[in-house]
Amino acid sequence: MEAFTGLTAIFFAAIFTNNILLTNYLGMCSFLGVSREVKTSIGLGAAVVFTMAFTSALNWLVYYYVLIPMHLGHFRFIVFIIVIAAFVQVVEMIIERVSEPLYNALGIFLPLITVNCAILGVCLFMLIRDYTFAESFIYGFGSGIGWMLAILAMAGIRQNMKRSKVPKGLEGPGITLIIAGIMALAFMGFSGMINI
Amino acid sequence: MKLIKNILHSVRPLFEEGGKLRAMLPVYQAADNFFFSHVEETTCAPYGRDPIDIKRYMTLVIVALMPAFLASLYFFGPRVLLLMLVSYVAGGLIEVLFAIVRKEEINEGFLVTGFIFPLILPPGIPLWMVALGSIFGVLVGKEIFGGTGRNLFNAALVGRCFLAFAYPARMTATWIAPGPEKWLQLPGSLAASAPDAVTLATPLGLAKSGVMTAPLDLLVGNISGCVGETSALAILIGGVILLLTGVANWRTMAGGMASMTLLAWVLNLIWPAQVAPPGFQLLAGGWMFGIVFMATDPVTGPATLSAKWAYGILIGTLTVLIRSYSGFVEGTMFAILFGNICAPLMDEVVIRLRIRRCAAERACS
Repeated sequence: MEAFTGLTAIFFAAIFTNNILLTNYLGMCSFLGVSREVKTSIGLGAAVVFTMAFTSALNWLVYYYVLIPMHLGHFRFIVFIIVIAAFVQVVEMIIERVSEPLYNALGIFLPLITVNCAILGVCLFMLIRDYTFAESFIYGFGSGIGWMLAILAMAGIRQNMKRSKVPKGLEGPGITLIIAGIMALAFMGFSGMINI
Repeated sequence: MKLIKNILHSVRPLFEEGGKLRAMLPVYQAADNFFFSHVEETTCAPYGRDPIDIKRYMTLVIVALMPAFLASLYFFGPRVLLLMLVSYVAGGLIEVLFAIVRKEEINEGFLVTGFIFPLILPPGIPLWMVALGSIFGVLVGKEIFGGTGRNLFNAALVGRCFLAFAYPARMTATWIAPGPEKWLQLPGSLAASAPDAVTLATPLGLAKSGVMTAPLDLLVGNISGCVGETSALAILIGGVILLLTGVANWRTMAGGMASMTLLAWVLNLIWPAQVAPPGFQLLAGGWMFGIVFMATDPVTGPATLSAKWAYGILIGTLTVLIRSYSGFVEGTMFAILFGNICAPLMDEVVIRLRIRRCAAERACS
């Protein structure tokens, strides 16, 4: 029971109180680039959820069963990136063979998020916070959901803004960053609710 | 009135094409509109069923705000007028600047924002903070998104949120004990830190340490808190005006009230020490003001009817959760801002579902 409440707390904290995008400002580039329409951001969001959950679990195994026994902990940055890139490539190939619709929905976004810093960020946070295997997976999954929530809300807002007269100098990334800032202000309200 | 008309008429050439003050035309139009409503009668079909426009919309909101405003004048004294003046002048300046640059008319949207903003601030707040918050709210919350009708977030809330994080100590320590005697202590009671002003914690703050305020005080408004949120009764009268005139949609209010009552009731049964009972939650703090005047804003809320329900429910739920479990005493501001963020997405989901249902029905028939 205690382990279960701990996992639930981590899950909700990763979505709301410690939203990887709005409190750590990680994964900003694809957030700014692919948030123009709700449809595409659903695809990208799903790909991020999937990749984050599995790479954080995979990297946990790699770190504690390969790097630590071999005293190579200082190589974790490089190894994590390689693991993420390899995982994304393999999954992309498998999806392409197995399911055509899923590939069309996710496939094009998978290479994009190989270089998403939020994915690496999640892997590094799980080490700093000394998570167990199950906690790492849940944390990765929750962070992905939180990231998806943020990009979906942003896409909804930007779709709604198509006819807005934004000042010339602020069009595009400028106004998007300001919106992200106001979103982060609203998310500040959750702070202190769940501690991880 | 005739005098004003003559003055306006005599200066008109200055603002027309080729006049010296052409760039200031929006100022002239605003003055003209303020005194003499611009009436153009239709002479042929189609006829408007009801000529409601931004001006009438906003005027009705101001009328609905009047009871709360009068209550705040009674409880917090003449300083309220000073706050309002500063809010209007500072925010209005930005509004006028943008109208001149954009060569648009100054419209009535700011009337409500400028009126609401001081009402959601602590009564003892320094005047420069009111000006700063009003400017930030209008500039970042509204004008850069394209002005009235295009703002994504409630401009007054953006300004307040900015102040709450930029000056947390000043925003949580400037509560003044209510009482009509402030009218007799002029001009001393106008100052931010009047020597004989008594500070008093808000009901929500007191509840955190286990002291519950009497429900009657909460209802009438004899409590400490933000300027306009003091009297729940006055706000409710305003809410009835909004609903009767059709300016606000009842779904948001109903969803918010119902979800707050239900959630607070359930959580209060389980954790009575942490979560206040529903009656207290409904009457205390900024909830009543927020759900009646800010959540029902047609611009920042969702447009579809079922999304309005969801929007109200989301705001009610988040308010209870933030109040009870987060580090903040009050959660209405965050909850409504969060609702503003999600509103376009809610609309999108509702519309998609409807399209899918229509497509399915067509496929069957």
